Amino acid sequence: MEKRDKYLIAIAVVICVVICVLSPYIASGDPDGLEKSAEDSGLAEDFSVEEIKGIPEAVFPDYAFASSPDSQPLQIVALAIGVIITLFIGFGVAYVVKRRN
Amino acid sequence: MHIPDGFIPIAQCLVYYVILIVALYFSVKWARSNLDEKRIPLLAVLAAGIFAIMSMNMPIPFGTSGHMVGGALVAIVFLAPEAAVLVFTVVLLIQALIFGDGGITALGANVLNMAIIGGSVGLFTFKGLNGAIGKYPAAGIAAWLATVVAAFACAIEMAIAGTFPMNIGIPSMILYHVFIGIIEAVLTVIVLVALDKFRPDLLAWNKGDA
Repeated sequence: MEKRDKYLIAIAVVICVVICVLSPYIASGDPDGLEKSAEDSGLAEDFSVEEIKGIPEAVFPDYAFASSPDSQPLQIVALAIGVIITLFIGFGVAYVVKRRN
Repeated sequence: MHIPDGFIPIAQCLVYYVILIVALYFSVKWARSNLDEKRIPLLAVLAAGIFAIMSMNMPIPFGTSGHMVGGALVAIVFLAPEAAVLVFTVVLLIQALIFGDGGITALGANVLNMAIIGGSVGLFTFKGLNGAIGKYPAAGIAAWLATVVAAFACAIEMAIAGTFPMNIGIPSMILYHVFIGIIEAVLTVIVLVALDKFRPDLLAWNKGDA
């Protein structure tokens, strides 16, 4: 890998870390556009159009540790784990599908 | 606009999964002839960055919030919506499986909205406006429109699913995403300016493809 590609990854990781550290403290907890639209339609928070069974529990529900969902430091850890996993799987997928000469 | 499990009946989820598989087929085909080795890190860091930025919900009016999605950004960087399909399949799968954000059953619909529709609307709007108003204004408008059209598509899907009716869903989704689209536009342009300044070699538009 070229040196400037290493810089690219390093800078991206720094930006991601900054976002992960700030997000649990400054991100808005208000409903997003889809959740708010569901509210506007009078849907209950746990609305389901049909029962779906067998959905595995998320390891980090709502980007937090299930044992202490309100711990912001642990939310940072959960987000950072997500960034690392995404980066590696992103690399893996890109490597597998890259151009063949 | 992550659709959760339970908002779309399973039978309809399967239709969106078929769309996802077809999109992935074309995306892998695109990658095999276009994704050169030096853009592998770019694709990976865009995926990681999009994962991170999606946690940063910003307040908009009406007691609502929104975050950048990035479908238009990825499509414009690579000048290919196929790249957005690859990136978003990875990001949305991780979010659904590990973080409970966006449904596992709704993965096909979420990739359709954010990557296929968001990426395509973003790229083709960018291409249409680029010559007339310049690349950054074109990218900003493209990112904004991608957000609004993806939200519109999501509202239609919710109506087909019977989750919420069109007469409430469409105006609500469009209204909120008109504002969320501004966040999308600003951040998309910032990332493109930064890439063009520091790594112009990675932008497909600098290869004369635009």
